Formats: sequence, structure tokens, C-alpha cells
Amino acid sequence: MKKGLMFGPNQPYDVIVCGAGHAGCEAALAAARMGARVLMLTGNLDTIAQMSCNPAIGGQAKGHMVREIDALGGEMAVNTDTTAIQFRLLNASKGPAVQAPRAQCDKKAYQFRMKHVLELQDNLDIFQAIVEGLIYKSGRVVGVKTKLDVDFYAHAVVVTTGTFLRSLMHVGQNKNEGGRMGDFTSKGLSASFEEVGIELQRLKTGTPARILGSSIDFTHLEEQKGDEDPTLFAFYDTRANSDAFHVEHRDQELLGWRPGERQVSCWTTYTSDKTRSVVQDNLHRSAMYSGEIEGTGPRYCPSIEDKFVRFSDKDRHMLFLEPEGRNTDEWYINGLSTSLPFSVQLDMLRSIAGLESVHMLRPAYAVEYDFALPTQLFPSLESKKVENLFFAGQINGTSGYEEAAGQGLLAGVNAVRKIRSQPELVLGRHEAYLGVLIDDLVTKGTQEPYRMFSSRAEHRLLFNHPSAELRLLHHAERCDLVDASRLKNIHAKGDKISQWCQRLESERTRGDTYAMHLRRSRSESDFPQELVDEAREVRAEVLYRVAFKGYIEREMKAIDRFKHIETIKLPSDIDYSLIKGLRHESAEKLSHLQPRTLGQASRISGVNPADISVLMVYLRAN
Amino acid sequence: MTKSDTFVALSTPAGESAIALIRLSGAFCTVISEQLLTKDVKPRYAHYIAYRSVSGQWLDDCVMTYFQPGASFTGDAMLEIASHGNPLIIHNILKDLQARGCRLAEPGEFSKTAFLNGRIDLSQAEAISDLIRARSDRALAVAERQMHGAIGRKMSELTNRLLVIVASFEAYIDFPEEDLPDENQAGPIQEIKLLIKELSNIIDTNEFRSVLSAGIKTLIVGEPNAGKSSLINALTGSDRSIVSQQPGTTRDYIAATIMLNGWAIELIDTAGLHATSDSIEQLGIERTLEQANNADFFLLVLDAVKPSPSLPSAIIDRMHENNTIVLENKCDLPHLHPHADFYPQCLHQQMCLSGDIKGLTQLRSQWSQLIEKNLSSLSHDAIVVNARHVKALSAARSALELARQQANESELSELIVCELRVAIEQLGAVVGTIDNEQMLDCLFNQFCIGK
Repeated sequence: MKKGLMFGPNQPYDVIVCGAGHAGCEAALAAARMGARVLMLTGNLDTIAQMSCNPAIGGQAKGHMVREIDALGGEMAVNTDTTAIQFRLLNASKGPAVQAPRAQCDKKAYQFRMKHVLELQDNLDIFQAIVEGLIYKSGRVVGVKTKLDVDFYAHAVVVTTGTFLRSLMHVGQNKNEGGRMGDFTSKGLSASFEEVGIELQRLKTGTPARILGSSIDFTHLEEQKGDEDPTLFAFYDTRANSDAFHVEHRDQELLGWRPGERQVSCWTTYTSDKTRSVVQDNLHRSAMYSGEIEGTGPRYCPSIEDKFVRFSDKDRHMLFLEPEGRNTDEWYINGLSTSLPFSVQLDMLRSIAGLESVHMLRPAYAVEYDFALPTQLFPSLESKKVENLFFAGQINGTSGYEEAAGQGLLAGVNAVRKIRSQPELVLGRHEAYLGVLIDDLVTKGTQEPYRMFSSRAEHRLLFNHPSAELRLLHHAERCDLVDASRLKNIHAKGDKISQWCQRLESERTRGDTYAMHLRRSRSESDFPQELVDEAREVRAEVLYRVAFKGYIEREMKAIDRFKHIETIKLPSDIDYSLIKGLRHESAEKLSHLQPRTLGQASRISGVNPADISVLMVYLRAN
Repeated sequence: MTKSDTFVALSTPAGESAIALIRLSGAFCTVISEQLLTKDVKPRYAHYIAYRSVSGQWLDDCVMTYFQPGASFTGDAMLEIASHGNPLIIHNILKDLQARGCRLAEPGEFSKTAFLNGRIDLSQAEAISDLIRARSDRALAVAERQMHGAIGRKMSELTNRLLVIVASFEAYIDFPEEDLPDENQAGPIQEIKLLIKELSNIIDTNEFRSVLSAGIKTLIVGEPNAGKSSLINALTGSDRSIVSQQPGTTRDYIAATIMLNGWAIELIDTAGLHATSDSIEQLGIERTLEQANNADFFLLVLDAVKPSPSLPSAIIDRMHENNTIVLENKCDLPHLHPHADFYPQCLHQQMCLSGDIKGLTQLRSQWSQLIEKNLSSLSHDAIVVNARHVKALSAARSALELARQQANESELSELIVCELRVAIEQLGAVVGTIDNEQMLDCLFNQFCIGK
């Protein structure tokens, strides 16, 4: 039930979420679903869950994270499945651990559905107002100030303001303030952070031009169709069927369609020699190359200028044309980020096969923004400087909808657990990509917009995407993140999988155990008939556990080897400067970052194994 | 274990000497330096001053040098005290420093502290003890190179090459939709093969450790009275000053250690090889055969006036052109027996061991050339690994062998990467660790990523 907007110091919420992007939505939903009174503030209700860049969700490591979000009761997976217009399983030719679901979404449908879910959510108020500052009281955050001159109060605040802090957009020499084309920027909030000693730095990212589909000549382009048998993100085998149209509101008509219905295609094309010369002739006019931009951009998403400069031996670069939705003819050009001036962009577009007479709808631009160094956060995503203040998403220096959503979910959960004096929810590096993500952020920080790669996870062989629900079950259960009936289903699924794994090791066929056949073929064709009839999620997990048993056991052993240092806690009042044998540089880093465990300390860059030995000896002696 | 822990040790050998050096390291050094120097302490400056004990008693006139934290060998504050080399003075000073709060250092504690403080890497710390124990110019040169980080540099070179291979697999795992060149495993497989070879070469250098530390074991073989003792006398006589007799029951067969062009050579005298019924002589011959098994080099002394002898197969089997020189002694006497057909593949040197300076010089030069040729892999930039390194490097090699096999069988690349990462970890164990960020750097530099 909605209880109506509360404001002023006498009516505090439990949690206020500032921002309604992918992080904000998950944070607000997670907190409200845990029963907390939540207010979500956004500068613009019409841009809730906006996909500011490409119209896709998932992909390598990211798709895995979306499934982990679903396992923890988040919304992104269902929202993607029901508004996607194309599904593809990436890396289908590689092993199960690195296969990843990816979907093209209808951007507007995605937004509308998410907005509706928020509107229907009990305990959650949403309100349009630009947050201009935080209200602190003796080292704690107690509320937020808005540009409406209305103050809202809360026991905890989650900041998910993305790229909107002191943001500056560049199109060549042209500069405009704003966190996204057509949107505002927030200056007051940056100052409000600096006032309490939260350090900010600059990053840069960008997005390519959008074009009109009817102006594309598809004749010579290559079509990329979706998978006929789509791999979905949410675990429908443990959810009720109707859950695809939302858990709490079965009677409500939400926007969306049956997952996998009426898929559309993407198309590929290439840059030409002309594109290269257009870029090279105008390099000096690019905001990045003329020194206009000071922030660091991502290595994995270089601008077209970068591609031609750094890989000058490559004649052409592949581009993907992706539709942004069913009810719009706007298309996204994946691979063509740039900060070249508008007129150069037009020349460049028209040099590309299929786009000779293209109609541009929005130019490409680069955006620079403040981010708060994530090393100033505890692994719960709470600020070390201000109590009960949580940060999630792009403001922590990450990039990507999935990275943001994952952080938002965990920040929302931890904000509620903090005010309820419950222990924080921190996922291990060996448990989930989300664990790797947050550990990397708070331990190492980042020099560029941080994106998840499977190669960042040392135990990725354990992270095959169908296992997400079972891997995270104990957390979901302990923190009460999924409802009882689904919990029961997950347990039943886990039991069934374990039983099958045991049976296949002992039952025999064609002169050997099923398990041995499976290790050789790695294919479901060697399943007994009874198993073929099981749900897809069960089959996938059984096959993986049996066929790759040796590798999985090896990973488990490696985890056990390091487990002891992961469980050794470092007291928060430890004075590193007094520890004999600890290098000065390490002592400084450790004091600054305040790692919670010896394991976390060992991953701080510049802290070497000798320092860890010294710490171990110190802890034993004290 | 607190910062106030300060340790002290005598750094020069015990006993009488002109000068003794006492070093202390730790936080108290600064305070103690201020007390002892009774005035402003100037870092890295040799203060000549009377050492007075806590109770004010004069102990000796010393030269004291203070080093600030971060600018010393250990990385902590240090004080070096050069006193006169009288054991009583040293005893008194050490006692006084303990009264001032120091404790006696454990063996190797200065190097260990330097390692823990990140002043040197593990292989450098190990090289310091090698340097102290080096008994030849060659051993010194290797230890010196390694003390200056040669092993660390080699490991990081190998690690970087491995990172390139890992990156070339990871690119296709993490960026499946990028327009990358077709995934080709032939290149990585070839490079893995080269790395395995290189690791094997490095592991093999472990054998040189005994050659460097103890010397090249050289067995002097010949019939009784062929001139073996004369040879030893001639060889040691010219190097008398650096010959060290090695007493003791286990090594009593070592006649002497000599230096040959920077190499330490252990000369091992043997009983004359001839058929005998004497049980004591028989025992000596058996021991010779045993020693032949462990020898690095053979000097076969022949009597030019006697027919060629017949040697036991245990020795003959070990001799070849690269480890044997045949000496035809007494070639100044008439009635020569030509021994040219005797082991013709080996180098022959005719000489007269009683006073033939020219022959001796020729022998030394041919001998040292042969050694250089055999140990050419110990060239000017070679490293020599110890048992700990061998363990890590062997583990790295096994992982690479597995990776190569998997790649040949077109195994899933994420599984191959697991093995490659084990190899990288093991190389890291030799000196330090490696960050995944370095692999990503490698990946983005190698491939044009970003659709």
C-alpha cells in the first residue's frame, strides 16, 4: 500500500534513493521489498531505467550478473526478458562457464515496464525532484535537499546519480552541461560530497549517433538474427509462470510480451577507407584529441578516433546497427563512439556502407563527469566517511547497466540491513561476478569506467550462468530476498541436481558410467531418458557439474586454499603504522582502505605477499 | 612484533681484526644514534667519536654512520658502528646496545627485513647469501647479477610473454562479438613450446650451483707413478696463495682447490688404477670408481714411456671429448710410446711435469677453454636458480606442458587459460606477484576491442 509522500525532519523514510537509473531502480525495489519505507527521487520521471547508450542487456560476464541479480530477487532479468526484441547466447561454441545470454531490448518498453513496477511496489514512493545536497548530522547522513526547496529525511541514503555530477558533454568543440543529452547536471551534490571529504575524480564516456532506420540501405549489410530458442535471464523454473508479468502484481497488466516473441534482427556493416580519412583529417577537432577532455575513457570502448590511431594497421572496423525498439525507427550504431564535431560526424556516417544517405537523429557525444572513488566505500557499499550513506552505479566509476543494477541491489539491501543492525551482505569473489565487481571497486578502485570481464574472476569456471540461483541461495535465504515459495523451489532444484549428479556417477550404460560418457562427450545426448525430461536449468547444471567435475573440484580446492585468509578479520582499530616489518607504502594503503579481511588486504595493489605474512604474524601475536 | 623492535649484530667475522663492524636496525636506532653521537645526527655521515656506555664508560673510539628510514639497506633506521677488532671491545659494545633496548639479530635478519620492507625481492635476498659464500670469480659474478635483480627481470620477461598468450585467449572469451582476426591457436602453441624450452634451460642451471659454490670436480686418473702427484703439485704450486686444503674425513680425497680463469676447480686425487690383490689398494680403486660417477672433469695422466693402460669401464664410460684431457707425461724421456690413438677424440697434451712451465701454461689454457665451452650456457647474463626456484619453475613448466597438450587437442580455451594462469602464479612466486590488470593492459594493446 502507498502511504503518501512524507517530507520534513519529523517524517523520515527508512531509505531515500537518489536517482532512478538501473542502480536506483534495483536499490529502491530491494529496500521496499524488504519492507523498508522507501522514497526514490529522480530529476525526471520520464527517464526512469533509461538505457542511455546501447539498447542491449547482458553479454559476456554481464549476462551472468543479470542472472545473479535475479537470484537475489532483483528486477532486471524479468524486465529484460519481457521487453527484449532479440535474444542471443554468446560464446555458444565455448564451454558452459563462459556462455552468456544477451538481449536487445525495446528501450521504451523497458523503461515503461520498470516505471510501472516501481509505481506498483508497496512501501515505495517515487517523486520527481533534483537532489542538490545531502543533510548530515554528526557524521551521518539524515536526509537530502532538493531544488524544490523541499527536504526529505531518511535513516539511510543511497546515491545512484550516474554521470550527472558536474557533467559536461562534448561534440567536437561544442560543450553543453548535462549528464545525458537533453538532461540536466547536478553541481550542488558534488560540493555536498566534497564538504565531508569524499574525494571525487573525473571520468569520461560516450555514446554514438542514432539514425533513422528508414534511411539505412540494408541491401548489402549482413543480418544478425536472434536465437530461435532464446536463453532467458530470469529463473522461471523456480518462479511461477505468471511471474514473467511480475511477482507481486499478478492481476496488473504490465507492459511487455512473452519472452522471445517476434524477434527482430541487428545488422553489421564496416567503416570504409573514406571513414578512415575523414577521421584522420579531423583528429585535431575531436574533443579527446584536442585536449578538451581531461577524464579517462574506457579502454574496451574506444572512440572511432582511438581505433584508427591505435590500430592503424586495421583497414576497417566492424559496426553493428541495432534497433532501439518496436515502436520507433531509431537505430543505434554500435562501435562508432566519437567526440568529433557534428559536421564531421555526418561525413563519417555517410562514408559507411549502407548509410550513404543516412538521416541522423542525434549526434554522438562524449560526457565527462565526477565519480566518487569507490575505495572510499566498505564492501557493503556504505561510505567510510559518512555513516548510512551508500553509493551504487556509475558514480562509483563503473560502466554498464548490469554493473549498476547489481550494485544498486546490494546497496539497497545493505542500507536496510544497516538500519536494522543486521550484518551486511557481501558476496565472495568465489561466489559471483557481483562479488568480484564490488571487491575490485572497493579494494583496487578504478582508473577507467569499470566494466566486468569474465577474466577478472579467478574462479569463473564456477560461474556458469545457470548456477547463479544455487550459488547465491544461502544469501537470498539469509537476507530474505526471495519469497518462501520460490526458496522452496530453488532448494528442490538443488536437491534434484545433486541427486542426478550422484546417480550419473554410479549408474552405467554402454559399458561405462553415465558420468564417464558425459566427460568425453560433454553433451546432453548421453543423458538417460529420465533426465532429458527435466527442466532446462536442471539439465544444464547437471551436465556442467558432471562433465567438468575435475575442473570444478580443482577450483573448489583453490578456494579452500585461500579461504583461511578470506575469513581472517582485520580489526577496524588496527594501527598499521605500528606494525613492524610492514612497508611504509603498504601501511599507508591499508590505513587508507581499511580492508575488512586479510583476503581483501591481499588484493590491494601494492600490498605484496610479504606484507600479508607480516599481518598474519601480527594478528597471531595480538 | 612492534616497530620498537631493534636488532643488532656483529657483521664482520668474530675474532681479532683491525676493524669490526656492528650494525643495528629498527626504530630505536634513531634514539640510540642521538645518545651515542651526543649531538645532531647527520645521516650518511661518518662520525668519528668515542663510544661511551650507558653508564658513561669509554669503550672505544669508533666511526659511526646513521641511515634514515627508507634510505638504508633494511629500509628501517640503521646505525653502523666500526670499532677496533678486539673481541672484548665488541662484546662490551654489543652488551651496551642490548642495555639500550636492542636484541641480537637472528641469522639473515638484515636481508629478511630488507625483503619484508620491499627493498629487495626474494631472489635478490637469496643472492646476498650466495654472494657472501661465493668462492670463485664466476660464482661472484652470478651472485652479483642476481643481487641486482637478474632473476626478477627474467621472470617478468617470461611472465609478460605468458600474459600475451593469456590475453590472446581471453580476447576471444570476453569479446565474442568483436571483429577480431580468426582465433588461431598455432601461434600460442608455438610460443608455449618456446617458453617450456626456456624454463627447462633455466631449471637446468640449478646444476651449475654446485659447480659455482663447490667448484668443478676434477678427477685425476692414471696408473701408479704416471705423474698424478706431480701434476697436482705443479697445478697448486703456481696458485699456492689461494689453494685451500680441505681437511675432514668426507672430503679428504680433495687434494686442493685451485682457480682457473675464474672457475674454482676441486682437484681430486685418486688411487692408481691397476689390477691388484692388495685389499687396501683395492678399496682405494673402488672409491676412485665411485668418485668418477660424480666428477665433472677428468685429467688422465699417461706415462709416455709405458704402453697405454687399460682403464675400468666405470671411468671410460664417463669420459668424452668435452670433459677429458689426456696428459702424456715424461715426453722428455726416450723410448716414447705414442699414445695418440689412445682416446683420440679427447684433447692430448704432451708435457713433462717436472718443470715444464710452457706445457703447464698450455694445459691451463686448453683446459679453461674446454670448461668455457661446456659451461657456455653460463654466459655473461646467465642466472643460476636454487632449489626453491626449481620447485616453482618446474610447477610452471608442468602447467605449460598441460596447456600445450590441451591446445593441441583443441580443448576449450577457458580451460587452457587456467593452466597458463597457474604458470604465471608460479613465476610470480619466484619474486613477487602479478596483477590481472596487467593482463587486461596486454589484451587491449594487442586487440582492437570496442564495438
